[in-house]
Amino acid sequence: MEKQSRIKAYARFLGASFSANFLAVIEYRVNFFLQVFGMMLNNGAFALFWGVLLGRTGGIGGYEFTDVMIVWAITSSAFGLAHVVFGNIRNLGRIIMQGELDLYLLQPKDVFLNVLASKTIVSAWGDLVYGLIVVALLPGFGLGRFFLFCALTATGAVIFAATFAAAESLAFFLGNSQAISSALSEFLLSFSLYPETIFDKGMRWLFYTILPSGFIAFVPLAIYRSLDWRLIPVLIFVAVLYAGLSYALFRAGLRRYESGNQMGARV
Amino acid sequence: MSHTFGAYAFAVGRKYGLAGATGLKTRLAYLGNYAGSILTYGLFVFVFSRIWTAVFESKAGATGFIAGYDRATAIWYFIVAEISVFGFGRFFWRLAEDVKSGQVSYLLGRPYSFVGFHYAEAMGPALVDALIFLAEGYLLGTLLAGPPAHFGPGRAAALILSLLLAGSLQFFLQLALAMTAFWIEENAAFFWIFQKLALIVGTLLPIEFLPARAQAAAACTPFPSLSYAPARIAVAAGIPEGLRLVSVQVAWLLGAVVLCEAVYRLARKNLSVNGG
Repeated sequence: MEKQSRIKAYARFLGASFSANFLAVIEYRVNFFLQVFGMMLNNGAFALFWGVLLGRTGGIGGYEFTDVMIVWAITSSAFGLAHVVFGNIRNLGRIIMQGELDLYLLQPKDVFLNVLASKTIVSAWGDLVYGLIVVALLPGFGLGRFFLFCALTATGAVIFAATFAAAESLAFFLGNSQAISSALSEFLLSFSLYPETIFDKGMRWLFYTILPSGFIAFVPLAIYRSLDWRLIPVLIFVAVLYAGLSYALFRAGLRRYESGNQMGARV
Repeated sequence: MSHTFGAYAFAVGRKYGLAGATGLKTRLAYLGNYAGSILTYGLFVFVFSRIWTAVFESKAGATGFIAGYDRATAIWYFIVAEISVFGFGRFFWRLAEDVKSGQVSYLLGRPYSFVGFHYAEAMGPALVDALIFLAEGYLLGTLLAGPPAHFGPGRAAALILSLLLAGSLQFFLQLALAMTAFWIEENAAFFWIFQKLALIVGTLLPIEFLPARAQAAAACTPFPSLSYAPARIAVAAGIPEGLRLVSVQVAWLLGAVVLCEAVYRLARKNLSVNGG
């Protein structure tokens, strides 16, 4: 009973953070829409690339144009959702390194969730919307696929956020871990946007361990294609597992945290 | 007379050379910044080498050639085309910021040309960046696709010339876009559109892959001179085609310089400097 009310309290907290962040960024409307438009344009350029290439070559590695677009849509929306809700994930390492966690430690909510949810990234809204537009334009889209897409986006977003946060939490142990976390983020995103089959079999184990592109893009592609809900609980379990491991790493690191004695305020 | 002109030319060269060296020193002061771009460039090259391998293993690549390219030349093409993007593709942000922040008013009273000073300051570090990516690209390309075929000193010299022209054209086009901030503060959208067109027209794919109509349209724009020209010269162009590509680059470069000067003159009339 108490556990349920805590979950509700955290859901309310995330909702409140989300709306506060949204109101803050929408204050500068022109900038907001420009960044959203810019990100959609960026993603659209790659859709054109795939259209031209696959138009000339047919499929590659068992992937047709529609398959590549599904991968792009799911990855783009999952990446977008992760940064819309947990916009501070890519700053976590810097916050730890500069001793700026004090502000969050003094507040009653869980430090990990509180830090991550205290910001939204404007361009990520473009990623989120782009994915939705792409799947809506693909053949066979209907209400069933819409809900399936939302579920796959949500699990992908949790896995993205958990992996990025874990990489950033290395700052507790290594000090400046910016190079490692940037590399991990860059690799994870890049591998999630291209057909799995173009990579050697010998490296594919990476996609189901430290660079979980398999659970973000490739398994979801198979689920979306076959409209098969049965694997969704497995993906939810994987997402919870990654989130749990990331949280455990953060808590282990927090014991080593040293304050920067900085004065700060959240407005 | 010739002595006076020589002294003048030396003074001008020294002035802009110093601006270039200052820009380079600033860039080298933060060597860690290179790690990220070197890694990203390497990752892109690796991923695209896998894409081209898969393409040439598919049915369409059964003959070993698509649009005149084989697997190795397609990979080498991408390696060179991306040097223009990674080495010279990000001048806009700093230039636009200078206009928006008012830094431009500081430069107006100095004894140098606004356009010339920015060119020297930006190209100094950019040339070193391009050289680093060239070396990295050469290593990666040799590992992933084997040594480049038919690549002698003549082709190397033509490639360097073409890359210099591509870098300069990138600068002047981006400066012209950045200077729209004199009228419209939120001008990033113009650059995004420019950047994406440059990506599609000759960077991610050789132009020969585009449909015939798109190829004809692309030929009327400066975009093929940014990435396609140096990449094509590096992998496939013969002497007549190479000369044609370089001539087109020179023509677009001259046009871009004139455009920048014209935009700057117009913008200066619009500028009101307040301060103390």
